[in-house]
Amino acid sequence: MYQRCKSLCFASNLQSRYKSILSKIEAKERRNLLFEEEKKRQRTAVGRIEKIEVKYQSPVEEVTLIMNKCISTPMDCAKHISEGVSKVSAIAMVDGSPWDMNRPLLSNCELKLLNLLSPENKLVNTAFWRTCSFILGAVVDIAFKQDVTVHLHSFPVPVIKSGSFIYDVYLDLADWKPTDQEMRALSAQYVKLINKELPIERIEISESLALDMFQDNPIKMTQIPDIAKSNNNKIILYRIGDYIDISKGPMVGNSSLIGRCTIAAVHKIPEKENLYRFQGVALPKGIILNQYAYGLLENRARKFNNTSWSVFSEENNEVEDAKVFGRN
Amino acid sequence: MNQAKIEKLVSRLRYNVGSKPRKLKNVDGPEGRFRKIKKTLTAVIKYERIELNYARADETRGYVERLISEALRHGPEHGETMELANFWIKEKQLVHKLFKVLVPRYQNYTTSFTKLHNAPCIYPGYAYKRAILELKGNVYPTVEQSNPHQHNLLHNILLDAARKEYRMEKYKEIAANMNV
Repeated sequence: MYQRCKSLCFASNLQSRYKSILSKIEAKERRNLLFEEEKKRQRTAVGRIEKIEVKYQSPVEEVTLIMNKCISTPMDCAKHISEGVSKVSAIAMVDGSPWDMNRPLLSNCELKLLNLLSPENKLVNTAFWRTCSFILGAVVDIAFKQDVTVHLHSFPVPVIKSGSFIYDVYLDLADWKPTDQEMRALSAQYVKLINKELPIERIEISESLALDMFQDNPIKMTQIPDIAKSNNNKIILYRIGDYIDISKGPMVGNSSLIGRCTIAAVHKIPEKENLYRFQGVALPKGIILNQYAYGLLENRARKFNNTSWSVFSEENNEVEDAKVFGRN
Repeated sequence: MNQAKIEKLVSRLRYNVGSKPRKLKNVDGPEGRFRKIKKTLTAVIKYERIELNYARADETRGYVERLISEALRHGPEHGETMELANFWIKEKQLVHKLFKVLVPRYQNYTTSFTKLHNAPCIYPGYAYKRAILELKGNVYPTVEQSNPHQHNLLHNILLDAARKEYRMEKYKEIAANMNV
């Protein structure tokens, strides 16, 4: 049992293949460095600070906030309103369109904050599901030992009714069948990451910079030009901790909004070489479900989720978050 | 045997009455029990919503229901009812409220006139269960909070989808069996 568990990497076991370790960690560090630099550059590009008026309709009264243009985010507004609101808000609606909690506001607007425990709009749930997929990618990225090559592929459009959130990953393992212990270990990693209560940052960058950042991942390299083409030569990046991924968003503002979660299964995608689909199920924090009902959900999440399978086989690269902004 | 129907003598209360009356233990004995109930009953009619210990609330509820139903049945001209009201209600202006406000309000009710909610024990609290007793149709906001977006909650969507999938599997199974 222990031997099998060891194929997942939890500690920095630096003995084997020292070189490849460094290259992977280095690539990650470099990507984060570029991310930081780009963020700083965008912040300085704002120049002289201008003020904007943000209107927020609370259940009690209408609040008008004076915020900084291109700097203040809905999260800042929520902090001004109350601590409770800032803790539960998942995404914001700015003049009726979805907006990430950590994305700067651009002009005078009406703000609405949505939470997961009274979802006025189904969009919150979709954003939650997308965030779960994104974090699953982060977990898979760090979970394996360094001698296993891991290339994250993509996560398709979130479909809640399919019963599980997914992430497709290229693994350098032929016919890997994870044991029960390995699945538990993966779930534990996931919970650990969530419990850090990390904010999820968002940034828009150009295509060339994105290619520079993801040069260690050949799959992403092929996807980036297509994504950029369909999105005005802009790539939207999200970051949690030190993990960066491409997604069209929106996502929820903080990983603390995720409550109970399980990584349920790993399936090999048929007709694709070494491409594995990681599946999981999660509930927002604050939703309490009994063990039996949650067990039903877990069992369903174990079945192979063939979401966007037809799209997948036809146009491989379009899958990457082919999510249209305002859809559902 | 010619026995009168009990419903014609006593009005039927529209909630589940407990099998035994509570003693509401106190130094004055049964007299003290009356005193306690009078006090709570008067408060309920005066404030329309009060929070108190569960046992006392549940016990008083029956008396409030009975008093209102008697008032509804017989009206203020009926001597015995007036006597009853004068006995239980400690403040005289509330007798007017009973006949002039509550009777018209509950004229067309088909349910009970009061509502009893379980209330939380606030830490550190005592060992006794708490309750909220209220007259229906009062002006306050509701005690119960329902979520209008319940069907949009994530676990409900997931469970709905799981149920649908299960049904579909069952239908397929049935269809397969029919062909054979």
